[in-house]
Amino acid sequence: MNVLVVMKHRGDAGNTHAVANYMRLAPKHGHKVAVFGTPIWYVPELQFSMDVRRFDRVVYVFESDPYRIKPLNEAVILDRFPRDKRLIMDTDGMYNPVVTVDGYDFNHRNEAERAHWIARLDALGGRIMQTTIAAPIDPRVGVMTFYGYNPELQLHPSKAPPKQFDILHLGHNWWRWREVSREILPALEEIRDEVGRIAFIGLWWDAPPPEGPAAGPEEAFELDPERLRRLRIETPKAVLYNDVIRTMSTARINIMTQRPVLRRLKHLTLKYFEIFCADTIPLLMLDADHAEAVYGPAGRELSLPGSVANKLLDALRRPDRYREVVAEVRRHLVSHYSYDRRVQELFAVLQN
Amino acid sequence: MKLLLVTSVDPWVRSVASVHRLVAAGRVLRHEIFVYGEPNAQLPNLPFTTDLAGFDCAVFIMQVAWDLPDMPHLARLLDGIPRERRIAIDMWGRFNDTIRLEHDFNHLEKLDGHAGWEWEEAFQAISDTILQPTLAPLRPQGRSFLFHGYDQASLTAPRRTAREAAAAWASKDYGAAYVGSNWQRWEQVRRFLEAYAPLRDKAGTVCLAGWDWNARPDWAVKMGLMGIDTDPALLARLAVEVRDGVRFDEVVGLLSRARFAPIFHRPLFRHLGLVTNRTFETFLADSLPVLMLPRDFVAAIYGEAALALVPGNDIAAHLDDALSRPETYWDAVLQTRSHLAKHHSYAQRLRELEALAKDSAKAEGAR
Repeated sequence: MNVLVVMKHRGDAGNTHAVANYMRLAPKHGHKVAVFGTPIWYVPELQFSMDVRRFDRVVYVFESDPYRIKPLNEAVILDRFPRDKRLIMDTDGMYNPVVTVDGYDFNHRNEAERAHWIARLDALGGRIMQTTIAAPIDPRVGVMTFYGYNPELQLHPSKAPPKQFDILHLGHNWWRWREVSREILPALEEIRDEVGRIAFIGLWWDAPPPEGPAAGPEEAFELDPERLRRLRIETPKAVLYNDVIRTMSTARINIMTQRPVLRRLKHLTLKYFEIFCADTIPLLMLDADHAEAVYGPAGRELSLPGSVANKLLDALRRPDRYREVVAEVRRHLVSHYSYDRRVQELFAVLQN
Repeated sequence: MKLLLVTSVDPWVRSVASVHRLVAAGRVLRHEIFVYGEPNAQLPNLPFTTDLAGFDCAVFIMQVAWDLPDMPHLARLLDGIPRERRIAIDMWGRFNDTIRLEHDFNHLEKLDGHAGWEWEEAFQAISDTILQPTLAPLRPQGRSFLFHGYDQASLTAPRRTAREAAAAWASKDYGAAYVGSNWQRWEQVRRFLEAYAPLRDKAGTVCLAGWDWNARPDWAVKMGLMGIDTDPALLARLAVEVRDGVRFDEVVGLLSRARFAPIFHRPLFRHLGLVTNRTFETFLADSLPVLMLPRDFVAAIYGEAALALVPGNDIAAHLDDALSRPETYWDAVLQTRSHLAKHHSYAQRLRELEALAKDSAKAEGAR
């Protein structure tokens, strides 16, 4: 089966990386995956196609941006793939009631915006799947993990780059600031003199997007660069998806955060898995139960909330202990979240 | 017949006038014709709907890419109306190989983001019945359907005789008026204006109504697009009155204030023999049309009498003669109006469309 993926593809975004894994593994199962569009020169391994007739199914991967391809192309895709040959991956929980977390992060700003989204996804039809580990709120929605763990990408310590940072956070400043400023920065303040270099790598850690409101809600990019500077936190520029694991491996510890609304909806993201491919100790801003639900019992030990400062110092001081925990989590991921399994799930859903 | 027109309607541009006339003709003939979309306060006479129930045919009137509605509407349309009940009209010759003529073109990716093959695939996605407003489509899959028409009931000033028309024509605000935007027509407009210059004092001022006649627009300069040219010095020398575009329902009124109303077709349209709203609408004005068009096209569309309205190479002599012997020319206009009323009415268009819709359904059924 040939599957065409329609998505906003960006070299520095997680979903692109996930789809790249499907592309890589699909031929092993007799399938093919390509993204609708034209090749991007800096990610030559991503396969693109605009020859819609060569595909049997279409998968729309939606984030929180109502991405739309050009109308002429859209007509061709809609005609080629009837509703029963379309699958919608709702990766940012848009096909839900309005969910607002602490008056801050939200999936929809209001009911009108939600209605527009629902109408759009309903019109596209097909099946709607959410990348959550929780039961979907809407009974019409199915669940599909979508993201996976690829042990082949795991970077062996002997091949890892030299450690430059003690602590790294890799991810964009998109609905992260409240958690970072209330929980992570106070902990770093507490232990700053006992820790070496710290970096936050990603977009918008130095300034909000230059596009202004067109980039998204202002609150999503909240930031206090001066506070980061005082804490001697470096903010290098974002890296491409194919450099994420290597970049994470330049730090002894990587902190994983997730935007609040997705954490509330228990949505998975690619970061959940790629952080365990890096030669680093992942520490998770997930409560222990949530961490266990994804990573197995060992995941509890990597949970940060409530003891951020202590755990960061503990991991720096007892790396071998934490490496054992990480190895245990990786075993869990291999048996439960391999992309091989993901690819089979996807094609099973598409075949049905 | 219950017909759904799918297109973007704008009171200032493209085919909005023809859409109105088609809808009006439908009312008279007891067809139900709707435009897809939410009601538009600027176009109160068009019935809009997003309810797809019960339509015999959806007609996609395609000029620009955004004639296809945004999501979720596009999916609702293509999923909700079966292919055999969809027809596409390629108004601007997109469903052809890429054509370049002078500076004109039917596809230009840097302008609208779409290459020729994307247009081709989109048309084929909408329907197997692809119509073009020309008498002679180039491709076998393209079928002739002129879409635009002549609405005798909308004549501003019906004249029974050429004498009556000529008498009423003696005094006008303008010598000549043209309504249309500066898009691939400057060379023809320039030629007309230069020929008109010696007659200006005798015939009156020229009025050019449309976008971008005053200056070559910045966006065209930035994109390196030719064919949107103008010559402000020439316009000033000839004291041409340049004004912005007018609403579709003011066009005939404005043309009626002039003695002459030239009809220009852009090079691409001349090549493909495409008609436009203005091809027919100009004959509704109380003005003498000047057909700046190929003679064989004129004979085929307007009838033999209209050949008298084609100036040929000596535009100045043609206009001067018309000023001297207006009855002769008005006689040609009245004959042409009769021809248009007989062969190109909107009632005729609806009959043709009904037949095409039935053919489309039958062909799909046979498949």
